[in-house]
Formats: sequence, C-alpha cells, structure tokens
Amino acid sequence: MLLLELFWSFVKIGFTSFGGLSMIPLISSEMISHGWMTAHEVSDIVAIAEMTPGPLGLNCATFAGMKAAGILGAFVANMGALSPTYTLCAVAAVFFEHFRDNKRLVQIMTGVRPACVGMVAGVVADLALVNYVEAGNVHWPSVILGVVDLVLLMKFQVSIPKVLMLSAVAGVIMFGVMGL
Amino acid sequence: MRLAKLYFDFLKFGAFTFGGGWSIVAQMQEVYVKREKSITEEELLDITSIGRSLPGTMIGNIAILFGHHMGGFWGGVACMMGMITVPMIILVMITAFYTAFQNNLWVASAMRGVRTAVAPVIVFALAGLFKSAFKFPPCYVVALAMFVVYFFLRVNPVWLVVIGAVLGLVICEFYERGKRDATA
Repeated sequence: MLLLELFWSFVKIGFTSFGGLSMIPLISSEMISHGWMTAHEVSDIVAIAEMTPGPLGLNCATFAGMKAAGILGAFVANMGALSPTYTLCAVAAVFFEHFRDNKRLVQIMTGVRPACVGMVAGVVADLALVNYVEAGNVHWPSVILGVVDLVLLMKFQVSIPKVLMLSAVAGVIMFGVMGL
Repeated sequence: MRLAKLYFDFLKFGAFTFGGGWSIVAQMQEVYVKREKSITEEELLDITSIGRSLPGTMIGNIAILFGHHMGGFWGGVACMMGMITVPMIILVMITAFYTAFQNNLWVASAMRGVRTAVAPVIVFALAGLFKSAFKFPPCYVVALAMFVVYFFLRVNPVWLVVIGAVLGLVICEFYERGKRDATA
C-alpha cells in the first residue's frame, strides 16, 4: 500500500514537472503532506541532489522512497518519476515527426513556465522561513551565510557544488565549533 | 550486444551529470555526433527539444528518445535504465548515511550550513529561467498570481501547473490571433 502511494505521488510529480527546478514545489508539497520528509529534509535533499550526479527529480525520488520504504521504495519512486518518460515520451518517439514543432505544446509551455517561476519563488519563501528562522526569531548567522552564498553564485559565478561544500565547512565552523 | 553498449554508454553519462541536464547532451554530442557519427547534430537537437518540452525528467526523456532512435523499444529501455543506475546507487548510499548520522553534531552542523545555501541556489537557478519564462506581458501576472496562490492559499501545485497550461493556450491564442488580424 505504501509502495503504491509512493508510486502515485511520483507519477503526479513526474507528469506536472518540466525539468529540474520546477519539480521542487511538487516534491515539497507531496513529501510534507504524506509525512515522508520534514521541511528541513526537503532543503537537505535539494542540496544533496545538487552535489551528486543525476537529475534532481530522480534523486529526490530515491531519497524519499528509501526513507519511506527502503530500497524497494527507492526503485518504485524512481519508476513513478519516470512514468511520463516511458509513456508520453515513448509515444513521442514513435510519432517523432509529429512532435517536432508542436504548436500546442509551445502554447502550453508559455503558461506553464511563468507558473513554475511563481511556485518556485513560493518555495524559496518557504525554505527561507525554515532555514533562516529559529523558534520564531530570525537567525542572523544563517542569514549572513545565505547572503554570502548568493553573492558567490551571482557575482563571482562560483559553481553550485562548490558553494554547497563551502557552506558545509562554514556550517561546521559556525554552528559546530563556535556554537552560533 | 548493441543493447549492452547503449546501457553502458548511458550508465557513464548518468554518472557524470551534475546539476542539470545539459551536461548529458554535451556528452552525447561528443560520443555520437563527433566520434561515432551515428546521429546528426540536427537529430540530436530535435531529440533534445522534444525531451525538454514533454513533462518529466529531461535526461530520462532524452535517453528514451535517443535509445528508441538507435535500437527500438528495448534500446529506449536500455538507455533509460542505464542512465538511472549510478545516481540511484549513490543516492541509496547517501540516504543510508544521512539517516544514520543525521543527529551527529558535526554532520548536523554541516547540513545546517548547507541549508542556508539552498534558497540562494534556487534563486540563482530561477534567474536563469527568467529569460524564457515571460514571452508575453500577461505571463508576469501568471507568475505573480501563482506565487500568491501557492504560498498563501496552499493549493496543490499539480492544479497550478494545469491552470498554467490552460492560461498558456488562452494567452497564445489571444496574441497570435491579434497578430493574424493585424496582417490581414
């Protein structure tokens, strides 16, 4: 039953996501509503998925599936996330020519893309509330570290895995050694 | 024999895709277009654009489309399964490690540091999405409305994607009809 629930959750996630980032709002709401992950764990999986090979959606599926139901769960969740691939895409492969410039698909994406931008912005707000706030108060050392990360990414073009590694080291020093 | 090659090719590609699907396209270009010449640049471009525009994981979609092109149904299966093998094994190990050491002070401190970087990483990626997301002015309204509905009203994102798709059709029909009338 749990396996079926996992599969169905990731089928929903798969069919309504269009590439990497756009999966985060769906994953976050499905995982938290089922109690498979906490808000902190959603942040962690986004970071882990960025540091390891493989697409974000499948890495999230493995993490959530494994936590909810072990290795079999991980496999089932992956198959759910891949369901549009082996249904829709398999059909597209057969009728390759018809899919080359599909006008309707372009039109649909014109609305889906901004919708994803809005939802992902919502996730950023959600994550900010969990990661920079502690017991109802703004946790300034975390905010400062976050601002430094943003500057490194946007201004100095440091790569994402490097920024995450640097933050891990900073975390050990600031929160572990200094106890901030 | 051929299926095995496809499987192991994609096993290798899957092991070296960090942060996003474009690295796999670059690797495929290197191997199949330049070295083996088994597919043309244009065909790869078509496969990429279809894989991107259909729902689901872009890399998985590209893998199955390419596999089908090279070796029919089983070719597609071989590429898809090859692609997910290494990431899945790595993530299974990391998840086991994560669950075991989640409460260790040093691991917890490191993860706390990493968490502060997650929102900036998403903001950074979002900035890259901005260029292609706003084709017509009403798209800005769609983005703003979806933010409000998602964050304050907590509507399931599945519905918001469906609403976005419908709005996309309406917006495009409106603008494209306007253009047709102007030229007529």
